[in-house]
Amino acid sequence: MDPIERHNPVPGARFVDPRVLAKVGSLELLARTVVDGFINGLHKAPYLGVSLDFAEHRGYTPGDDIRLIDWKVYGRTDRYYIKQFEADTNANFSVLLDVSRSMDFASHGLSKLDYSKFLAACLTYLAHRQRDRVGLVTFDREVVDRIPVSAKHFEVVLHALDRAKAGRPGHLLTALRALAEHFGRRGILVLISDLYEEPEAILDAVKPLRFRGNDLIVFHVLDPAELEFPFEEPSAFEDLESGDRVPVVPRALRAEYRQLVQQHIATLTAKFSEHRVDYALFDTGKPLDHALFSYLGTRQRLSRVR
Amino acid sequence: MSFLSPLWLLGLAALAIPILIHLVQRERRNIVAFPSLMFVRKIPYKSVRRRRIHHWWLLLLRAVAIALIIMAFARPFVRRPVLALERGSGAREVVILLDRSYSMGFADRWERARAAAREAIGTLGTQDRGSLVLFGRGADLIVRSTSDVGSLRAGLETARVSPDVTRFPPAIKLAQTILKESQLPRREVVIISDFQRAGWERTDDLRLPEGVVLTPMRIGDGAAANVAVTGVSFQRAPFEGRERVTVTAAVANQGDEDRAVEAALEIDGRDVQKQRVTVGARASAAVTFAPFTLDKAHTRGTVRLPPDSLSRDDALHFALSPAEPVPVWIFSSEGAARDANLYLTRALAIGTTPAFDVRVASAATLPAFDVEAARARSAASHQSGAMILSDVAVPRGAVSERLKRFVENGGGLLVLTGGQGRFELEASPWLPARVGAPIDRVSTGAGTLGIVDYSHPVFELFKAPRSGDFSGTRFFRYRALTVTPDAQVLSRFDDGMPALIERKTGAGRVVLWGSTLDNDWNDLPLKPVFLPFVHRLVAHLAGYQPPASSMVVGQVIEVPSGDRRLVTPSGGQTAFAASERSRVVELSEQGFYEIRDRSGREATPQVVAVNVDVSESDLTPLDPEEMVAAITGSARSDRATSQRAAERLTPQEQERRQALWRYLLMAGLALLAAETMVSNRLSRPVATGRVEVPSA
Repeated sequence: MDPIERHNPVPGARFVDPRVLAKVGSLELLARTVVDGFINGLHKAPYLGVSLDFAEHRGYTPGDDIRLIDWKVYGRTDRYYIKQFEADTNANFSVLLDVSRSMDFASHGLSKLDYSKFLAACLTYLAHRQRDRVGLVTFDREVVDRIPVSAKHFEVVLHALDRAKAGRPGHLLTALRALAEHFGRRGILVLISDLYEEPEAILDAVKPLRFRGNDLIVFHVLDPAELEFPFEEPSAFEDLESGDRVPVVPRALRAEYRQLVQQHIATLTAKFSEHRVDYALFDTGKPLDHALFSYLGTRQRLSRVR
Repeated sequence: MSFLSPLWLLGLAALAIPILIHLVQRERRNIVAFPSLMFVRKIPYKSVRRRRIHHWWLLLLRAVAIALIIMAFARPFVRRPVLALERGSGAREVVILLDRSYSMGFADRWERARAAAREAIGTLGTQDRGSLVLFGRGADLIVRSTSDVGSLRAGLETARVSPDVTRFPPAIKLAQTILKESQLPRREVVIISDFQRAGWERTDDLRLPEGVVLTPMRIGDGAAANVAVTGVSFQRAPFEGRERVTVTAAVANQGDEDRAVEAALEIDGRDVQKQRVTVGARASAAVTFAPFTLDKAHTRGTVRLPPDSLSRDDALHFALSPAEPVPVWIFSSEGAARDANLYLTRALAIGTTPAFDVRVASAATLPAFDVEAARARSAASHQSGAMILSDVAVPRGAVSERLKRFVENGGGLLVLTGGQGRFELEASPWLPARVGAPIDRVSTGAGTLGIVDYSHPVFELFKAPRSGDFSGTRFFRYRALTVTPDAQVLSRFDDGMPALIERKTGAGRVVLWGSTLDNDWNDLPLKPVFLPFVHRLVAHLAGYQPPASSMVVGQVIEVPSGDRRLVTPSGGQTAFAASERSRVVELSEQGFYEIRDRSGREATPQVVAVNVDVSESDLTPLDPEEMVAAITGSARSDRATSQRAAERLTPQEQERRQALWRYLLMAGLALLAAETMVSNRLSRPVATGRVEVPSA
């Protein structure tokens, strides 16, 4: 069905999970705000204009502007082709992927980072399919890898996803502050992180992205162990990022821990909605397709309401 | 706090092992990587800490409980002086052994020793019994097992330092006997001595009964500088018919520093000479005095050093008399050649120790020969003398009887065979062998001496290698001898025929020589061994003993027969009647003993010089613990404790009285019970906590 499925030419293609796409393929990721770009019927574009970036040729269908017919191609092939330009179709779609050490945690098979890669890949695929320009930024405490937004960068993004590895401790604020200046044109920004910061610090870090007029979506990826704290044996717990060890008797502080995590999520939900940032919690223990479907579905419903 | 069996305490180390393992394992096993401890840190840290400490307490409780039990097994007790209450709990039998050897006279040792003895007597309670033993070479029981402290003190006051040497075994044996007879529950021995190494030699049967406490009290200090005269030797030389004697004395320095001393030689109480000598540290030196003329018997001499801390060994006494020649009468047959006894007489003419007074007479004079008269005529009235029958017909009848009496009274008779004499065993039953026909070895090559009894005094001189060889002597003829049953063969020829036979008769001896002592039948007189052989043979026959210049305290002398009086150096007198049988006297004082006639008026009484044993002047101390260990079978490490042990109990007794182990064991068990309860209580909330997990 899909070319990606067939040849699998790109290493990162494995993150584009067909099962996920099968479920969410019918949905669309639409910018809730006005985004830069010429999107025919999909995104609200601020400009009417034609880009000079050649994208592809398309067969002429009645109703197309005859000015767009590429006569040179007609001369060679005797068929009408519309010469399409990139700017025609797209919004800027960027994934901001947190690759700090803490993302490399897995209480079961799939680590948070892998889960996030699936998530990023699927969203990028969706965006690419609707001809948005796609880009990727991975960061920990600073920017690790940056793929500028471009309609042709889907495979580059997949490559970058493939090679992204969790290494250093992360710091949201410094990394995002450095990023903000790169997103001059408004677009859709998806921040995927485990958000181990205080809520105020997270908002401080995120707000600059939002101020540029971008549509910001924050995906909070957490492992079920982080939510439930299911440990039994009294142990020394080692912080993946700082390396600190703290002796912990899990039984004694499980209840308090859960309460703190839930409180953190609740605070984030409240704060983000205050600032018109879309926020969704992803539990890596739950299937991605299900989570993404419910999120996109909700988002679509909300869009329609609005 | 001490322990009776401290090896158990090693168990405490084992106690730490599980704790260490626990700690190590704990750290190593349970490390959980977690993305962020942001939330964990927000939870008050105290609650986590407190929980861990709580378990530590439990661990500590268990460790202490086990440690207490282990300590109970180690049998602890507190070392402390026994209280007066405990002293009365068992009556003591105390034997005080006080060393009175002359080394105790060194500086103030004797006063300190008596003070120590007084102190030991002072510890006796009303129930206790004490014995006082003074010991030197032997041990004297002064006061036997009495509860009368006064008599012990009195016995102690009369004690004096003797010129004796230290010997521990007899004293300990005596203490052993006293303690064996005692019925009292606690038995102790206190030895007060300077513990000279020379006085102690380990013997296996010297062991005090089980439970006896032996307390050595060492009197004396490390530095004991002492100079002593340890020996004297004499070189006699004839000088114008008299003797000149050169005295050489050995001076030993036991101290650690060189000493220059002035040695004086006294003859008959007058200072004759003085010589300065420097003696190196821990060394000895010889002092040689200029010779003096010895012109009368029983001359008293003393080598004296200036008195030092130990004065008894600073003088060495001796008594000298001019040498007395041994009378020898040689009888040869009428028909013998004039020089038949040439070799023999010439050989006997040489020599000073002893000198021989040789008279040669014809065998014809033998029947009329009066031994007593002949001896009286000779210079030596004390020597028995020897008669040599050189190849003469052995007399028979009355003469034979007289010869026999001469021999029985201590004289010696040498019978030389030869070609002319007749030797009839029937006529002279004192002959040691039946003499047969001569054996001629000329035709078959000369015979040699095959067997020589080197253990006999005559041949002892030749025993060592290269000190005389008889094998080179050739014997051409000798008499066939058949030995009588009670005779002893001293030498045999190579064909097994006896050569020299000795037969003891009464106090004297008869010796039969199977060949001649000229170079007629053998070439022995031409050999170097001839002279010493003849000297030894005749001196042995005459019963010659070199006169002793001095004796040592503790030796005995036999007072000669007759009415005698013995005057000791301190002036005491003992009379001996002629009829008295026991005439043996032990020499117990240092100085000159005199043996006088009943009248006591003779000018030169017989003098015996008595000296102290020089081995006692070596003050090298022994470690008293070594002796204690050997006698009681257990060493005591703490010397301070051992000195006071008379007032203390043994560790075993202290431990038994205190019985701390019971309390420790009970405390340990109580802690274990408490631990069980605590751990039960601790584990209960844990159990409910487990139920919560799945529900959450």
